[in-house]
Amino acid sequence: MSIRSVLILFLFIFAMPLQGMAEKKITIYTVNYPLTYFAERIGGDLVNVVFPAPSNVDPAFWMPDKATIREYQKADLIILNGAGYEKWTKKVSLPMLRVVDTSKAFKDKLIHIETDVTHSHGPSGDHSHGGTAFTTWLDFSQAVQQAEAIYKAFSRKLPANTTDFSNNLESLKKDLLELDAQMTVMSTNKPGLSLVASHPIYQYMARRYNLNLKMVMWEPDADPGESEWKHLHELVNAHPAGWMIWEEEPLPKSVKRLQDMNIKSQVFSPCFSKPQKGNFLSVMQQNIENMGAILK
Amino acid sequence: MDSFYLAWRYLSYTKVKTFILVGCITIIAVLPLTLEILLDESERQLTLRAESSPLLIGAKGSALDLVMNSLYFADEVPETIAMEALEQVMDTDLAAPIPLFVRFKARDFPIVGTSLDYFDFRNLQFAQGEKFVMLGQCVIGAKVARKLNLEPGDHIVSSPETLFNLAGVYPLKMKITGVLAPTHSADDLAVFVDIPTAWVIDGLGHGHQDVAKTTDNTVILKKEKNNVTANAKLMQYTEITEENIDSFHLHGDPAAFPLTAVLVVPYDEKSGTILQGRYLENETPYQIVQPKEVIDTLMANIFKIRNVLDAVIMLVGTATLLALVLVFSLSLRLREQEIEVIFKLGCSRATIAWLLGAEILIIVLISAVFCGGFMALVQYYDQELVRQLFI
Repeated sequence: MSIRSVLILFLFIFAMPLQGMAEKKITIYTVNYPLTYFAERIGGDLVNVVFPAPSNVDPAFWMPDKATIREYQKADLIILNGAGYEKWTKKVSLPMLRVVDTSKAFKDKLIHIETDVTHSHGPSGDHSHGGTAFTTWLDFSQAVQQAEAIYKAFSRKLPANTTDFSNNLESLKKDLLELDAQMTVMSTNKPGLSLVASHPIYQYMARRYNLNLKMVMWEPDADPGESEWKHLHELVNAHPAGWMIWEEEPLPKSVKRLQDMNIKSQVFSPCFSKPQKGNFLSVMQQNIENMGAILK
Repeated sequence: MDSFYLAWRYLSYTKVKTFILVGCITIIAVLPLTLEILLDESERQLTLRAESSPLLIGAKGSALDLVMNSLYFADEVPETIAMEALEQVMDTDLAAPIPLFVRFKARDFPIVGTSLDYFDFRNLQFAQGEKFVMLGQCVIGAKVARKLNLEPGDHIVSSPETLFNLAGVYPLKMKITGVLAPTHSADDLAVFVDIPTAWVIDGLGHGHQDVAKTTDNTVILKKEKNNVTANAKLMQYTEITEENIDSFHLHGDPAAFPLTAVLVVPYDEKSGTILQGRYLENETPYQIVQPKEVIDTLMANIFKIRNVLDAVIMLVGTATLLALVLVFSLSLRLREQEIEVIFKLGCSRATIAWLLGAEILIIVLISAVFCGGFMALVQYYDQELVRQLFI
C-alpha cells in the first residue's frame, strides 16, 4: 500500500465522525427575521435556522398553511418573539416544550395597547381583544435578552456545544449593545423632540431612548387617505413634529405632501423580513444613521 | 371404556344434577383464577404507567385521585390548578412540564387536554393520520376508533357535563386528525385535544359573530362607545372551522386557566429531588407526588384485600366442596337400589367404584373445559376488564 493510499484511508477514517457531527445539526424554526439572525449568529454551523414566511408578507400577520405548521411541529426548537407577535400560534397546536418565548424575561415590561372596543356577553363580563406592542427588538437592550433566551434554549438542546454558543452570544451582544449605546447617546442630543411615526411599531424604541413619538396608522406603499391627513394635521398641531419615521421608503407623493407640512421623512426599518441587501445588523446601523439626521 | 360410557349415559340422564355439579366446580375453580389474572393485569398496568410518569403536580387533596385521573383518565376529577403552576415548573429549569386537563368526555371516552409533547413523552405512534394542527381538532386512541368506527376526517362531539345545566357550555364538534396505534394502556381509550381546545370545551373560550360589526340588532342588548353587550341570542359556534377560527378567543388570562395536573419530567435525578423539595412548604396550594409511590401504596392495599378475598374464596370453596360431597353421598344413597342391581348383575365392588369415579371424572373434565374457556375469555379481555373494574 502506498503512502498516498494510507493517507487517504486515514483521512476517510477521521472524516467519518465529522460527518456524524454534521448530521447532528438541529432544526430551528423562527417567526421573524431578527430572531432568525440572532439564532444564526448564536447557533453558527450547529443549527439549521428556517424562517418560512414569504418575504413579501409581514410575519406578524402571517398565517402559515397546514404543511408549514407541521414543519414547525417537527422542529427541534421553535423560536417565538412573544408579546403577541405571532398571532397564528394562538390558533394552532405547537409542542410546548420546544417553544421558546424570547420576550418572557421582560414580560412584565411589555406595552399593552388599550384602544380596542370591548364587548360582553354571557356570564364572563366585558372583555377586549386588544393587543400588546410586539416590536420588542427595537429596544436593543430587549434584543439582548431575546438573544440570551435563544442561547439558553440552544445550550439545553446541545449542552456539549455550550461554549460555542456562549462565544457567539457574546459577539452578538457586543454588536447589539453597541447599537443600544449609539441610540442612547443620540437621543440625548435633542431630548423631547417631537416626532411622528407612520406605524404603531416603535413603542419600545420610544420608551428606551426617550423619544417623544406619536404614531399613526399609515402604510408606506399607499396613500393614507384624506381622513388620515386630516388626523395628522390635528396631531401635529398639538405635537409639532418635524420628522416622520417610516418603516420603509414611503411613496414620493406622501413625502412631498409631508414636506408641504414642514415634515421630513426618514426610514427606521424594523427589519421584519430578511433584507434584500445586508443583514439585521447592517439595517439597524443604517437606521441609526438615519436617526442621526433627525437627532444631530 | 364401558364404565365411562355408562357414567356418561347416567350423567346425560340426570341433566339438572350434572349441570349444577359442573357449575359449582367451575365457579370454585374460576373465581380465584380470574381474580389472580385480573389482579396481576391491574398491577402490571398500574405499575408500568406509574413507573413511566416521574412526578405529578396537582391541587392539594387526594393523591390517589390525582394519579388515577392523570395517568389512567379515571372519572374522579381532582381539584384544578392554574396553568401558572406549569409555568412555574418551566421557570425552574429543572424539569419539562406537560399539562393535563382531564375532565370532559366524548361519547363516554375521556377527553385529555394536553400538549403535543405528551405524544413524544409516551412515545405514541400513529396508526392513521397525524397530530392535531389547529384549535378544535383531536386525536383518538385505538379503541375509541375501533368501538366508534371512526377514522381521520370524521368528527366526535364532546358530551355536555350535565343535561340540566341550561347555562352550561355548548358541546364542541371536533375533527379527528389521527388515530393512535394500540398501546394497551389508558391512551387507547382517550380523545386527545390541545389544551386551548379543552378550555373551549370548558367554556373559557368561544367563537361567535363579531358583535361590533353585526347588523342584526336583535342580538345586541346594549351598545356603548367602548362596549357592546350581546344577549343570549348571540350564536356561538359549536365547531371550529377554518372559516370561523379567527372568531375564537379565550376569556381572561390563560395563566389562570385550569389544569387537573402537570406531568413533570425532571431533567435528572437531582433536579427531581430539588423540585420535590420546593413543594414541601405548607403555603403552596400544590402537591407534588411520585405516581409510583401512590400506586405502590394502592397495590399494598389491593394485596391486603386480595388476601381477604383469597380466604373468603377458600372458605366458600371448602363449603361448596363439602356440599358436593354431600350431594354425591346423598346421590349414592338414592342410587342404593341401582347399585344393588349392578352388583347382582355381576359387577364387582371395584367396578362399581370405578363407575362412580368415572362420573366424577367426567364432571370435573367438563368443568375444566368450561373453566378453560372462561379463563381464555378473561385473559383476552383482561386489559379492558381491569380498566372497567379497577381503574
